[in-house]
Amino acid sequence: MTRILGGVTVAALAAGLVMGFGVAPREVTQGNVQRIMYLHVPSVWVAYLAFAVVLVGSIVYLVRRTDAADRLAHASAEVGVLFTGLTIATGSIWGKPTWGTWWTWDARLTSVSILFVMYLGYLLLRGMIEDRERGARFAAVLGIVAAFNIPLVHFSVYWWRTLHQPPSLMKPGPGTMPAIIVAALLVNFAAFSLLYAYFVAKRVRLLRREAELAA
Amino acid sequence: MMADNWSFVLVAYGLAGVVLFAYWRRLVRRERELDRK
Repeated sequence: MTRILGGVTVAALAAGLVMGFGVAPREVTQGNVQRIMYLHVPSVWVAYLAFAVVLVGSIVYLVRRTDAADRLAHASAEVGVLFTGLTIATGSIWGKPTWGTWWTWDARLTSVSILFVMYLGYLLLRGMIEDRERGARFAAVLGIVAAFNIPLVHFSVYWWRTLHQPPSLMKPGPGTMPAIIVAALLVNFAAFSLLYAYFVAKRVRLLRREAELAA
Repeated sequence: MMADNWSFVLVAYGLAGVVLFAYWRRLVRRERELDRK
């Protein structure tokens, strides 16, 4: 099953590259550097998705104490940290030619860095506590608390004056982007979501195997 | 209108490719290790 998902993911990522580089036009103002958007925006989407899954998994674990929910939260946090790191790195690379700087203490950049550090802390916490049940319980609480940062990251561009532009797609109301750019972005959203599902499925299976061997 | 800055595009996609591939390799290696146990 995971192998089929992996094959579909590779095909979707290839389609995303074709859409981003072959079909979507050169952006009028920024030129071709805007193509980083097809990587940067789906990465932050996956980060949001991953941490939302951590929230749900953590709540379910605290209520029902099911190991499957804990493993899902753990796996999702790890993949979320990976994609948050990619979001920060690709944003910085995009920022240099467009803003003239690799980094600025802008509300969006700062809040997403706090998000990254919080979930990195979540993973470290899990690794530090030897008692598995205790570690899972503490991590679940942190997984719920850290999720409050997700809306802060998303709405930071509205709440504060920032260098970062407001969302072009993940916002209410009519879109301002040409349909072909939206289509390329949506294909990449789908491809990255599949990649997230593939990584999480693989990581959950590893965590289950590790638990079986430790028992 | 800005210059194309293709080098930045290549670095961004290259970095993402390397990071994602490395994570995938790590998962596959760990899977093999556990299978051997």
